[in-house]
Amino acid sequence: MNEIFLRDKASWVRRTVLQMATRAQSGHVSTAFSQTELLVALYYGGILRFDPKQKDWDGRDRFILSKGQGGIGLYPILADLGYFPLEELEIFTEEKSILGVHADWHIPGIEVITGSLGHGLPIAVGKAEALRSQAKDPLVFCLLGDAELYEGSNWEAAIFASHLQLSNLVCIVDRNGQGVLGKTDEIDSSRDGPRLNPVDAKFASFGFEVRELDGHSFPEIFRALADIRERRGNSKPLLLLANTAKGKGLQLMENQRMWHYRVPQGDDLRSCWDNLENPRQ
Amino acid sequence: MGKTAFILGMRDRFFDALFAIARKDPNVVIISADNGAPSLDKFAFELKNQFYTVGIAEQHMIGMAAGMATEGKKVYTYAIAPFVTTRVHEQNKLDLCAMNLPVVNLGVGAGYAYDIMGPSHHTVEDLSIMRVLPNLTIFSPADGSCAEKMAEFSYRLPGPQYIRFDRAGLPEIYDTNALDVARGFTELVKGRDLCIVATGIFVHQAIKVAKNLRERKGLDVGVVDLFRIKPLPTRELLETLAPYRALVTYEEHLIAGGMGSALLEMVSDHGAYRPTLRIGQEDRFVFENGGREVIWKKYGLDAIAVSARILGWLPKADLNLR
Repeated sequence: MNEIFLRDKASWVRRTVLQMATRAQSGHVSTAFSQTELLVALYYGGILRFDPKQKDWDGRDRFILSKGQGGIGLYPILADLGYFPLEELEIFTEEKSILGVHADWHIPGIEVITGSLGHGLPIAVGKAEALRSQAKDPLVFCLLGDAELYEGSNWEAAIFASHLQLSNLVCIVDRNGQGVLGKTDEIDSSRDGPRLNPVDAKFASFGFEVRELDGHSFPEIFRALADIRERRGNSKPLLLLANTAKGKGLQLMENQRMWHYRVPQGDDLRSCWDNLENPRQ
Repeated sequence: MGKTAFILGMRDRFFDALFAIARKDPNVVIISADNGAPSLDKFAFELKNQFYTVGIAEQHMIGMAAGMATEGKKVYTYAIAPFVTTRVHEQNKLDLCAMNLPVVNLGVGAGYAYDIMGPSHHTVEDLSIMRVLPNLTIFSPADGSCAEKMAEFSYRLPGPQYIRFDRAGLPEIYDTNALDVARGFTELVKGRDLCIVATGIFVHQAIKVAKNLRERKGLDVGVVDLFRIKPLPTRELLETLAPYRALVTYEEHLIAGGMGSALLEMVSDHGAYRPTLRIGQEDRFVFENGGREVIWKKYGLDAIAVSARILGWLPKADLNLR
């Protein structure tokens, strides 16, 4: 793991996301920032198997962005890796662009359509079972938002994933503690809640192996994923509970409310650029 | 009159035919949301790697079906009809139709088939909400032979599909060998004055209505079994309906948005206007017990009431057919 390289990539992704959102005056900036290190580790850290030259290569790992609003944070990575030209990022959401706000299967490198929450995990379970039943090697990764876990379909799928002992399924929860309106567990007004905690115990009781980590720490992400190809003997699907901050790295947004789908303007925007160009270490 | 002979259910005719297909193709899988059928047991025991029961978890069932379909499986989901339609509309919309995947939702209990089970099990809005979904094909067979032939047909058809079965076995209309499923409809009775276009169980009622009107009033009434609701077999159907002076649509379904609405849209869009009477359930839920025929009678849906309604309507439509 070359941590400097990965940090540079994460920094580039965040700057690119802010440019895209500013140009389009659209896009979920804060949610893209909470998942950045997770995606950078998966795609640049040698965890995911993929081949941008053959996007339908059967040996690829299947990555499902269940939190489809995070598309803006995945597109720069897919473009950088060669799934489509970098110029696509400059016309994000425009008439000639293949890139919309929510991830969709027409985009090279995106497996399925998402955007309505609670759809990714059932699909991931179906993919994992189909691969397992054909004795195929690829793993299925599913990145979920934590507030997405309010959707009951996730828990239907979780019951079945552990029933089938899908050890080829790796779920990652981007635990930024916020939905659109309020916070999931730091309850201080009627905007917040209902409480999601204990998320770890919930998934463990549904039959998952749960690993908790700092979702912004590359060493912790790699530690949590070190043995994923050797888990075939394990009978449990894996769940990574990645603690993150919505709007990570931006003083304006970090863990602040009301930035779920807002693009900063004027002084706010300048402060964001200042944070990105002079990050706190 | 002797005791009614046992008729194998439509879904069982379908599953028996599908079983033969699934034995040859290991990529065919069935997912049941805790719903059984006599003919389903052999999948569970003899093709157990192709059969899943996910529990009463229909949202997951549709998503899982989509996931499996993206990996090369041909997936059949199975539940009581409301639970593969209204319960999972968004999964149908996004996971199946927006990705145009080869998943076939099988719903048993069309219309008031689950008569005494109340609005939770009545399925009288499925055609309305399913026919708005792009890429989806909808079938509504009226007998076991048609259902049986749909197994092979649905297996070969690539996109998402919904097939609504009646709950019980219905008397045979078709000779399996002669039926052309690809055509989407059959003109069962040829006429000239008035054509009753029906689907599902009401095809059987329509035949009675036509006979009534022919014998008692001398009207030359035709009957069409429309078993593919979407996409409508527009060109052939317009050709078949062309000689008729008036149309009646007849469905065990709400009149809002159902088969009758689809037919009216087709007729209107092609300028093939003529007086059309839609018969189906009005804007209401049904809580009455007593069985399916009680419901039909109370709401004017049985063959006698429908015959009378048609006769009362003809003068209003300014039609003097005799």
